[in-house]
Amino acid sequence: MDNILKGRVFLLGDNVDTDQILPGYAMSFSEDELGRYALAGSELNNFAEKVQPGDFIVAGRNFGCGSSREQAPLALKNAGIAAIVAVSYAMIFRRNAINIGLPVLCGDLVNNIKEGDLVEIAIPGGRIFVPAQDVNYKLEPLSKSAWDTIQAGGLINKVKKILADRGASD
Amino acid sequence: MNLIEKIMANKAGVNTVTAGDEITVTVDLTLSHDVTGPLAISQFDRIGVNRVFDVNKVVFIVDHNIPASTVEARRQHRILEEFCSRTGAQLFNRSEGVIHQVAFEKGLYSEGDIVVGADSHTCTAGALGALAIPVGSTDLAAVIALGSIDLEVPEVDAIIIDGPLAPGLSGKDLVLYLLAKFGTDSFTDRGIIFSGDTIMSLPLDDRLTICNMAIEMGAMTGLIAERESVGKVKRVYNFDAGDIEAMIACPSSPGNVKPVSEMDGTALSQVVVGSCTNGRFSDLKLVAEILKGRKIHKNLNMVIVPASKKIAGQMDDAGITAILRTAGAIIGNPGCGPCFGSHQGLVCENDVVLSTTNRNFPGRMGHKDAHVYLASPRVAAESAVMGCITRPGTVLPLEESSNG
Repeated sequence: MDNILKGRVFLLGDNVDTDQILPGYAMSFSEDELGRYALAGSELNNFAEKVQPGDFIVAGRNFGCGSSREQAPLALKNAGIAAIVAVSYAMIFRRNAINIGLPVLCGDLVNNIKEGDLVEIAIPGGRIFVPAQDVNYKLEPLSKSAWDTIQAGGLINKVKKILADRGASD
Repeated sequence: MNLIEKIMANKAGVNTVTAGDEITVTVDLTLSHDVTGPLAISQFDRIGVNRVFDVNKVVFIVDHNIPASTVEARRQHRILEEFCSRTGAQLFNRSEGVIHQVAFEKGLYSEGDIVVGADSHTCTAGALGALAIPVGSTDLAAVIALGSIDLEVPEVDAIIIDGPLAPGLSGKDLVLYLLAKFGTDSFTDRGIIFSGDTIMSLPLDDRLTICNMAIEMGAMTGLIAERESVGKVKRVYNFDAGDIEAMIACPSSPGNVKPVSEMDGTALSQVVVGSCTNGRFSDLKLVAEILKGRKIHKNLNMVIVPASKKIAGQMDDAGITAILRTAGAIIGNPGCGPCFGSHQGLVCENDVVLSTTNRNFPGRMGHKDAHVYLASPRVAAESAVMGCITRPGTVLPLEESSNG
């Protein structure tokens, strides 16, 4: 059974790198401060003030390329972003987002959706509904392991379970 | 199997693996630094275990903000110090240098090892035949607890380069040439094995530079192997080194690469030499040969950051430090320098920078409206003398230099 998330869309292009998502100078700040610097280096002006809990990012190719900084997806999540839909992701960013419980789905919607559109995203099945157009667009479903990790609340909870199972078998 | 599959199968304890398999591999070394380490530690502490999987294989290095550039940066040092003191994990916090250079110099890994690092340039270790996987802080925390990591076996491609490289060119020109051909996402989620006569005959420093920038092509990992060890790969790309000329990545992507000759004459306000990409002794020795008896141009400043303390010592012993200072360069302490935009040479709007580092995304080195170019140490040094982007051989004839 899919979960349905509802929110507004922020639109970004191709190759949004991690320096744009969270600039290097902000990496020293504590986890709960990161949201204020989300996308501070990008073309979206004042994103951190405009974003509301539950909003989405729709982007182009190679989202999150560059550094391994987990502070990048963490900043987006802490700012309120509930899911990202992009044509493709850099590998480390995708792993990091899943590991912290932020759903990242694949789909090419940059030309079908406008900034500010209210949409519904179904996970893990992979579908985005745009009420204004009354159209459903198909997304690639999340992999089983990614969905397991997100449902567990992130990789740390998964690791706790592995260690508990190991302890039980000792 | 190809070499990457062989290493993964070995570390998974199975006879064979194939692309797409989800496997668990044991890890021989974990690396982390002062900006990814503290988050890994807070995630590790959430797991609730009180010991790391192997105190000798868990390494933290303070390299990004050393000495601390802000109060927050100092807090991050203290988190690493407290954790290593509590668990016995290894700590390098005396400005030993950039994590990837220090791990290499101290022999913390060897051929066939799996190295997991909370830094995207962990792939540098592929130059020695290690399978080096870059991850984020949570993945690293899990490895520190478990001693293993779950990976999907990637599809692997080979890049084979044969033939002699023209005088004045280096590993940096070669990898920038590949970025010109492939862009920044042709190898997303894939492994790259580099081989061929050209790469195998390059000095080790240059091979480290090539693997260092495999991540810029989007790869999961990159490593260098003898031709006969490559094995069965998905795609093979062959190149003739004779087609390569001096290359430069233009603002604002490492994939926006052009021949230096096309950008010749572009006025510069800062030149940076350093980082895990090109801050090694051979790089700085060549820069000193070019700057010896000359002055950097009056319109720019030049920041030089050796990649390690060992290299800084070698520079002192060889008289290189004095040559660079006399020429007017500012020499920083070993570490990451301004590469990631935190300290030691940040730039403002309208600055035009030539750097030997690995990334020039908007804002990477400071203000997002600065213009940053990436090139080799030779191009950087000659450009620093001329005050503008300059072709190799303009200041110091190619036949008069010892290398690169």
